[in-house]
Amino acid sequence: MSTSAQTADNGIETYLARLDAALAGVALPEKDEILREIRAHVLDSVADSTDRDAAVDRVLRLLGAPEQLAERYGTECQLTRASGSFSPWLLLRTSWRWARLGMIGTIAFVLGLLGYSLALGLTITLLLKPVMPSRVGLWLGSGNLFLGVPANRAGMHEVLGQWFVPVVALVAFATAIGTTSALRWLMRKRPRNPAYQVSQTTV
Amino acid sequence: MAILSSLWQSRLYGLEILRSLLERSQLEVAEGTLYPILSRLKSEGLLQSEWVEAEAGHPRKYYWLTAAGRRRAREMAETWNKFAASLAALVEPVLGGKQR
Repeated sequence: MSTSAQTADNGIETYLARLDAALAGVALPEKDEILREIRAHVLDSVADSTDRDAAVDRVLRLLGAPEQLAERYGTECQLTRASGSFSPWLLLRTSWRWARLGMIGTIAFVLGLLGYSLALGLTITLLLKPVMPSRVGLWLGSGNLFLGVPANRAGMHEVLGQWFVPVVALVAFATAIGTTSALRWLMRKRPRNPAYQVSQTTV
Repeated sequence: MAILSSLWQSRLYGLEILRSLLERSQLEVAEGTLYPILSRLKSEGLLQSEWVEAEAGHPRKYYWLTAAGRRRAREMAETWNKFAASLAALVEPVLGGKQR
């Protein structure tokens, strides 16, 4: 009996040590809280069982791999932080983590990637304009619009002229702001949507 | 929403939340999902928590709703009710047809 209890307790300690290591990025007081809470959960779950070994095995399996559990804590905590941030880098990184947990996260990540890439592309053409003033522009020819430096300008003419810089700057800025607001909105709105909560919590 | 609702009447610790969800609504929440969500709800100010010494020999972390948490739970329950009612209206002919 005592050897069995020992094996079971070793299992718990190994699990908590791995969780501790995986929670490396979490602040110390918060990490201690998590470890204490998970320990209490395991001990409470196995309290009434006759076969302690099997019960510990079962509850640790239900908790999932410690690295996966740490990932969930990290993502939840980062989503809260990111939803109040204006940093495209943080928002994009967070939505990438979120994408691994489900559909809404994936939508957020794709939206963020497209939005910020567009804003970045526009900014690059804006920076190239003073370097190649006669070649960079919004070109119209044979029914096509082309932004940037066309390979062959035959039959094309520039549309914006001296308005190029203000118009492109405005569109780039609006795209970046729009993407940021959309990501923040998705992240903030997430816990309010009951249907999503249920799909996330129902097995 | 389910987690907030389970705390409507009294303060509970993690395992009690899981058991009450299972008993009252057959809602099976994975352990590995519950604790990170509790931690987030707390950091959003919807829950408050406290360690309480128990006769089990180790303290337990009890959670309860803050005023903001109660407001949020009510909002979510109202939204859910509307959603459920519109779905009920949608499936009503299906169930009606089955009886015939």
